[in-house]
Amino acid sequence: MADLVSKGLTTCEGCGMELIARSILDVLGQNTIMLTPPSCSAILTGFGSETGWKVPAFQSNLENIAAYCSGISVALEHQNKTDINVVALAGDGGTVDIGLQALSGAVERGHKFIYVCYDNEAYMNTGIQRSGSTPVGAWTTTTPGGKKEPKKNIVEMLLAQGIPYVATASVGYIDDFKKKVAKAREIDGPAYIHTFSPCPPGWRAKPRDTIKIAKLAVDTNLFPLFEAIDGEVRVTRKVRKVASIKEYLELQGRFRNIRDEEVESLATDAENYYNKLLESEAK
Amino acid sequence: MARVLMKGNEALSEAAIRAGLQAFYGYPITPQNEVPGYMAEHLPLRGGVYLQAESEVAAINMVYGAAGAGARVMTSSSSPGISLKQEGISYIAAAQLPCVIVNVVRSGPGLGGIQPSQGDYFQAVKGGGHGDYRLIVLAPGNVQEMADLTTLAFDLADKWRNPVMILSDGILGQMMEPVEFAEDQKPAKVEKPWATTGAQGRKPNVVNTLDIIAEQAEKNLGRLLEKYERIKEEEVRWQEANAEDADVILVGYGTSARVARSAMELARKEGLKVGLFRPITLFPFPEKQLQALAKPDRSFVTVEMSAGQLIEDVRLAVNGMSPVYLSNRLGGMVPTPEDVLSKIRDILEGRGKA
Repeated sequence: MADLVSKGLTTCEGCGMELIARSILDVLGQNTIMLTPPSCSAILTGFGSETGWKVPAFQSNLENIAAYCSGISVALEHQNKTDINVVALAGDGGTVDIGLQALSGAVERGHKFIYVCYDNEAYMNTGIQRSGSTPVGAWTTTTPGGKKEPKKNIVEMLLAQGIPYVATASVGYIDDFKKKVAKAREIDGPAYIHTFSPCPPGWRAKPRDTIKIAKLAVDTNLFPLFEAIDGEVRVTRKVRKVASIKEYLELQGRFRNIRDEEVESLATDAENYYNKLLESEAK
Repeated sequence: MARVLMKGNEALSEAAIRAGLQAFYGYPITPQNEVPGYMAEHLPLRGGVYLQAESEVAAINMVYGAAGAGARVMTSSSSPGISLKQEGISYIAAAQLPCVIVNVVRSGPGLGGIQPSQGDYFQAVKGGGHGDYRLIVLAPGNVQEMADLTTLAFDLADKWRNPVMILSDGILGQMMEPVEFAEDQKPAKVEKPWATTGAQGRKPNVVNTLDIIAEQAEKNLGRLLEKYERIKEEEVRWQEANAEDADVILVGYGTSARVARSAMELARKEGLKVGLFRPITLFPFPEKQLQALAKPDRSFVTVEMSAGQLIEDVRLAVNGMSPVYLSNRLGGMVPTPEDVLSKIRDILEGRGKA
């Protein structure tokens, strides 16, 4: 298959987002319009006359990428070009914080588009500021003592809104991600994939540990992999033996000062949420 | 306190905390991230509240709420983020709430770039949001002024019950210079009988900008405009150098004023009679002070990192008495003193186009 993302992009060593971008176009192919907000993924859309995409693309503003998708989707429909994939690739800040209103509106109206959030759990492009998606205990430049509040669960919000397809995914299990992108394409409406994406500089982690950390997040139940078609939940990766949260945290300098009770709350929340998912699956 | 070496954005933040800042509402955007970073680290330890909002829109409206409740408050952002805040700024101006808004300007329009620019001049001094309102706009020209004008900004905001904007840029924000803070600075105690601090023993205060009865709205707006006129009378600040004998007066603020000063020094070395006029308040603009310098055999050159924005106010001030020229760079480029000097030579040798 032709590579639809240029080689030699200036993403950081060990960047999860770049792998996500390449994987999206591996699945969807040329008949795709890509969108990025101001974020690390904006590198792919490029600047001046240069772009990293070999497909059409838009650079949006930070708060409205889903509104751009709404506009594009409706315009394509009007031109009977319904076979074109419209794909947003936005970070967690641009999605769960400032982009939430536009995303919720687009989902409510039911536009056909795929929204891939690469969740690296903070605003990384601006120099590591906390986002609604930053977990408890994580250091950022605006949570110098570690974040106190738990991570916002946008997937549950979208489920509550009745989105036809929603999934979590991880760069640690890229085949699973690709399957989900393929499913999202078949949905006649909005599809959302929340994708866990380690950021070595922002997480104070080694670039070579990106995949290891991403796998551990799943295997500790901190980031369970599942999907929901029309609200029907299915856990796509069952965790037989829960991995050590301690090992996961120790690979990342951002958790260096995490307190014991915070580690405990992460573990308890993870276990409870995973069990809840299994229960909804059984129903 | 002895002189310390600080980045402009840090000096500004430290000055705000010393001025009695009670709450800071931030959101990430380059190149202002040192401000929320400094606040997150220092403000909570010194009795204040640091809060990161979910958007610039949320941050400015948190400022509205906190200012209405009587606190000394501040937010900072950079150009696209300041654009997002404009509705909130208009509401704050209408509600006459004191607060400080910092714009570390980057290049636009659109997503633009993260390099320094002065492209938000019109937005800052002419309104920016909807309706007839004005901000007090301060333009620091060095790191010491990033601190001093921040202190002043809080005092002016309270004095006039008006939002004050500090118009900075990525160079002033990121550059390091020595800065000195006053030893015994105590934040002014300001009575705010209009604030929503409870209603024991008095009528409840209501913070509202809805004004749908035209006759009443016109009267209220009249009071606001009257306030702006008094601000114009009392608060103009500027600096001039070598203006008396100058054939050419360079006009610039902030970073471009630094370039203009160097250009003036180069020109004087060559025996060219060049002066400098630096507005420190952009609103109120030092209109009368510029007007007083205008005469037919003298030229003005605005030195800008914008496409000819400051020049409009200079032209209005000199009102046809002197030709006004533009020397500028755009898109994040910074003019060099040599660029400006060559413009000066062109003018003096009759090749300039006003």
